Amino acid sequence: MEASKINRRKFMKLAGMSGAVLAIGFDSFAFGKPGTLKRLMAEDFVTGTPLNPFVVIAEDGTITIMATVPELGQGIFQAIPAIIAEELEVDMNQVTIVKSSASRKYGRQSIGGSRSVRSLYQPMRQLGAATKEVLLEAAAQQWGVSKDQCYAKSGLVHRQGSGETLAYQDLVASAANIEVPKKPRLKPKKDFKIIGKATERTDLPHKVNGKADYGIDAQPDGLLYATIERCPTLQGKILSFDKEAAMAVKGVKEVMTVTRTVYGKKNTGVAVIAENFYAAMQGRKKLNIKWDNAEFKKVSSKSYFDDMKKLAKEDGLSHKDQGDFDVSFASAADKLDVVYEQPHQSHSCMEPMNATVHVRENNTVEVWAPSQSPQVQRQFARNLGIPENEAEEKIKVHLPFLGGGFGRRSMNDPLEECFQISNTLKKPVKLIWSREDDTAQGPFRQGTVHAMKASFDNSGKATGIQHKMVSQAITTQSRSSNGKIPFEVMEGINTHYDFKNYSIQYGEYKSQIPIHWWRSVFGSTNGFAHEAFIDEVAVKAKADPLQFRKEKLKSEPRQVKVLERLEKESNWSKKLGNNEGKGLAIVESFGSIVAHAVFLKREGGGVIISKVVSVVDCGVFVNPDQARAQTEGNIIYGLTAALKGAITFKDGAAEQSNFDNYGMLRINEAPRDIQVHLMDNDEAPGGMGEPGLPPIAPALVNAVANLTGKRIRKLPFDLQEV
Amino acid sequence: MANYKLNINNEPYEVEAEPQTPLLWVIRDEVGLTGTKFGCGIAQCGACTVHLNGTAVRSCSIPVSAASGQQLTTIEGLSDDNSHPVQQAWLDVQAPQCGYCQSGQIMSAAALLEKNPKPTDADIDQAMAGNICRCGTYHRIRKAIHTASNNISNGSK
Repeated sequence: MEASKINRRKFMKLAGMSGAVLAIGFDSFAFGKPGTLKRLMAEDFVTGTPLNPFVVIAEDGTITIMATVPELGQGIFQAIPAIIAEELEVDMNQVTIVKSSASRKYGRQSIGGSRSVRSLYQPMRQLGAATKEVLLEAAAQQWGVSKDQCYAKSGLVHRQGSGETLAYQDLVASAANIEVPKKPRLKPKKDFKIIGKATERTDLPHKVNGKADYGIDAQPDGLLYATIERCPTLQGKILSFDKEAAMAVKGVKEVMTVTRTVYGKKNTGVAVIAENFYAAMQGRKKLNIKWDNAEFKKVSSKSYFDDMKKLAKEDGLSHKDQGDFDVSFASAADKLDVVYEQPHQSHSCMEPMNATVHVRENNTVEVWAPSQSPQVQRQFARNLGIPENEAEEKIKVHLPFLGGGFGRRSMNDPLEECFQISNTLKKPVKLIWSREDDTAQGPFRQGTVHAMKASFDNSGKATGIQHKMVSQAITTQSRSSNGKIPFEVMEGINTHYDFKNYSIQYGEYKSQIPIHWWRSVFGSTNGFAHEAFIDEVAVKAKADPLQFRKEKLKSEPRQVKVLERLEKESNWSKKLGNNEGKGLAIVESFGSIVAHAVFLKREGGGVIISKVVSVVDCGVFVNPDQARAQTEGNIIYGLTAALKGAITFKDGAAEQSNFDNYGMLRINEAPRDIQVHLMDNDEAPGGMGEPGLPPIAPALVNAVANLTGKRIRKLPFDLQEV
Repeated sequence: MANYKLNINNEPYEVEAEPQTPLLWVIRDEVGLTGTKFGCGIAQCGACTVHLNGTAVRSCSIPVSAASGQQLTTIEGLSDDNSHPVQQAWLDVQAPQCGYCQSGQIMSAAALLEKNPKPTDADIDQAMAGNICRCGTYHRIRKAIHTASNNISNGSK
């Protein structure tokens, strides 16, 4: 936020109304004065900013910072308040972090693209600094000195050389009458006390005793439970179902059709609503739905990949075209010409999709939105005929903790379904997807094909490479791409490698299989194919894969530094035993660079991942412990996709349903030794939620090749079979 | 429908439910202890782990009728103040990310340490392999179990 855009008149009005509460860019709705304050929106004070969080300093000394960004495990509940607290000059143990509701007054609350710290780092620092400045000025006026003679520390303003102090809570009333500075001075990085230091997450105490509130835990009075039987194939129309049989199950209250929208396609299922979830599930078993879905039965993974491999033989849309790859390939002394392939995946958040909605008879609504995009007020208001300017007053949206998201929760189909049920019954309803619904209904991560070619000259030097990626795109599922490459599909392909002839193309495939943002999205699939192939090229050129990358990435000093650090931290050049293998990969995605080195060992008749060493350059980081945690998590999520389940389709339906046939990596299969090293620099903050994922699968298969000589080009694979 | 007397965290509860209702839903929705989570419904993920007479079990796959009269402990019954050594260790290493699976992880770890206060890595693999963590906190869970084990043995000296 630019403090200069705070409208002073309204700022004072708010401050006046709230007595001794200092309010910057917020209203204090959540603090017991709803009657006076709830109509004041953050937009009344601040314009042109992406998010307006808020700070409240009460006369009793309580310093509250609102957590407005949905927390799904990434530590943002702590991270954004920490950024504000740094510039506000308060210690984290002086701050109470309060989870906000969903509201436009906080600006955009949707999360994805590893974006939160990246987009909020500067605005939140400015917010904190502007707040501190008015407190300093208030103290200066009280002492009759210039502001330059005052400084703030740990919630106190100090008068230089005098030993005198004034506490923030004793300054808020007068500070509220002081003009907010247009350009507050930000602290230099060397003075940071919170940013860059590991701080304990304040949401964790409730996550070890069962008290953290997830969406699935919402329990309003009179709650009914719903489950929905949806078409087993990707789509289909209901011909008939046995409502009476389902209604006959004890505890079942209602049976009704419900429609879900996935990228413009309407899918209607049958909901069973009951006094408890068990009864709803029993009723669902009695529905005996007959579907008209013959036309969708043709969809299969086999036809999907056969079609895409055919498409990979044709010219695609050009993303990078340096030199003339076709000429270099045609005249090459030696060649590589291989195809990489990756399947669809399910997000499989541990908390299955769910939603709780209460549409009341008086046309007010309460929503529990376990969502990465929770601001549903306007959408629900349109459905209910509520004028847009009354949407926030009449529709209250709770932001529960999210039991994982990974992109899946950026689609609000469960809220859409639950809203329809509650709106019909005018009762509070909790919709829970079974794990089978969650696994098989999608939307999924894309399945991809990568046609990879390389040319070598007489001396064995690589003269050119081509990466032709074929896939559906996420953003063109319900529209045409008009011959343009959709923005998301080239993530994670390193265009900086120095090859004389370098061609990167995209071939767009259309399918009825719905796909959606899945942790690191195309970074996960592109990073695998590209970095595994770079390794093939390096080995064929008889180069060490790490030195080869360093040589070919000279134009990117940050990437070279990451590789040098990895070389050192992993002791890369150390000769391994006969039963050991190593592999590495480096991918830049979502504003950060991550390189992993994977070490394998033959042990007890199998192969184990003995160690993963990671180097992360995410620029300035807020909480190093959480940057490491995200990287550890990305390693596991990526290894799961590389080594465990795949979603495959046959006769129009996903063949997997639950964790018994769609496996997750477990503790006994996870690397025991994971070391994450963070680069220390002054670059702008990069993302952390996703960039650790793309390089893990290629580092793994490169290690397999190093250990066995065998190249894995299709995921998933069985590490015990190599 | 039938009446069942449940003993959860040393408190008596009386619930009315169909005999085959999974214990999980009774604990969550009838008793109101929502720390125990639904993950898969087929005893594959461990999110619903509780202690039945001290043994870690998957409450999604035990009918309420089988739990009647038994001693049940849920995550809420581990301590009043996060003072259980496993909870302490979990916080020490900042293990949870989204946190959803962690009730089950902690209950499995607590049951393991109760029977085996000095588990090896292999013991941890065996006892914890039934608990999936999609955020991938396994590395920290292993560390936390060793930390708790050390604290327990130091505390008992």
